[in-house]
Amino acid sequence: MSIRLDQIQPIIDREYGYLITEHPHWSLTKGDQDLELVAHALRVLLHMKTTPRHLAEYLALVDCQHADGGWGKMSSHQESAAWVTAFCALMLIRGNLHLKHPRIAEAVRKCARYFLETQKEDGKWSDPSWADLDAVSHPISFFDVLLSVGRNLVDEPTLSRIKDSWRKGMQFMLERQAADGGWYDPEFHPTGVEITAHLIQDSIVADLVLGNELNVRDCCQKGVLKLLSVQAADGSWDGENVDHTMDCSRSIMLVCSILGTRAQCDGAIERGLEWILKHKCETGWPDFPGMETNLERTCDGLDTLLKYKAYSQPVTTAIMKLWGYAA
Amino acid sequence: MIFLAKAAEIPEGERKLVKVNGVEVAVFHHEGRFYALNNACPHRQGPLIRGTIGTAAGRTGCFIRCPMHGWKFDLATGDSNGRPANATIYPIDQRGAELFIEI
Repeated sequence: MSIRLDQIQPIIDREYGYLITEHPHWSLTKGDQDLELVAHALRVLLHMKTTPRHLAEYLALVDCQHADGGWGKMSSHQESAAWVTAFCALMLIRGNLHLKHPRIAEAVRKCARYFLETQKEDGKWSDPSWADLDAVSHPISFFDVLLSVGRNLVDEPTLSRIKDSWRKGMQFMLERQAADGGWYDPEFHPTGVEITAHLIQDSIVADLVLGNELNVRDCCQKGVLKLLSVQAADGSWDGENVDHTMDCSRSIMLVCSILGTRAQCDGAIERGLEWILKHKCETGWPDFPGMETNLERTCDGLDTLLKYKAYSQPVTTAIMKLWGYAA
Repeated sequence: MIFLAKAAEIPEGERKLVKVNGVEVAVFHHEGRFYALNNACPHRQGPLIRGTIGTAAGRTGCFIRCPMHGWKFDLATGDSNGRPANATIYPIDQRGAELFIEI
């Protein structure tokens, strides 16, 4: 590998320090917050293995959960939305692997009920802020993690309902893969780059960990090949989009690790990482090269480097843990 | 009204990011008309200046698609066609060779 870990570790340390100094801007203990940003920050705490020091952050997230089990875009919003609820739910179920707090466990059960009760007949969830495929992928990701490491949280009848719901959601996504391996949404994602990267890493590939019931290997491999085929020569994706380049890099790291196709993907991952490192701001990352630092993107940048560290380890479980597919 | 830009600085088909009173304004010159929007997408603050302009089937006017997560906004009205929030638009007053907005 051309990117050395001793090269990125100082960047991780520095950027994590920056995130901590920005605590008032993402912590629910300081007031109303954008919950997508909160979830991004909690994911960094998880992957930095500092979750046990931050119980108050997770309990604050429990405190603003709605009676129906969901969350809104802002912690003060009263209406629940599927995508952000799934992101919050993922952080709670994964955080509680370390915190083991009964209030968090109960909140996770409420999340499961929320998704069971809001799934549509055709297997999808709807969220006006996101494409249907993304709105399906994130709850399925939560169910993936629950089925992988959180079965003890729910009773057998609920587990059975979750498995049925998971199957319907997975089918919704699998039936919509295009012949070229990508997923597209004419309204939100005509290029298909971000949505393809999201789907294969956040939901579909987990089937291979959960017992290969739906035989998704070819589907994932086609998705990876699609992403590889649209990477720019400079290593970026989707018109120098930092967010989407981080998404694609992370997605390929996980999926090729599980598929056992690292040799095919190492070059693309390293070009992606090099581009990401080249275009960071002095502190943090922007949405596009030359723009100002964005805190959410900085969380994504840290997450990408931490996942690259895990990818660099010879055991596949190291990187699977960073999606919650292994304890 | 506040001076935005000289019309000649933004030829047909071009765009320009202008900071007005600390606010980033994305200015587009499309099919003979100037449009000004707050550059921050109301979804995740994606930069609309980097967006793609298109024409929606069955709808009048043109839209700008945010490059981050694909929300689309009517260039003239900021309408998001059913998304939870609309873009902020600034009506442009063209006075000869110069463009002005109220912000």
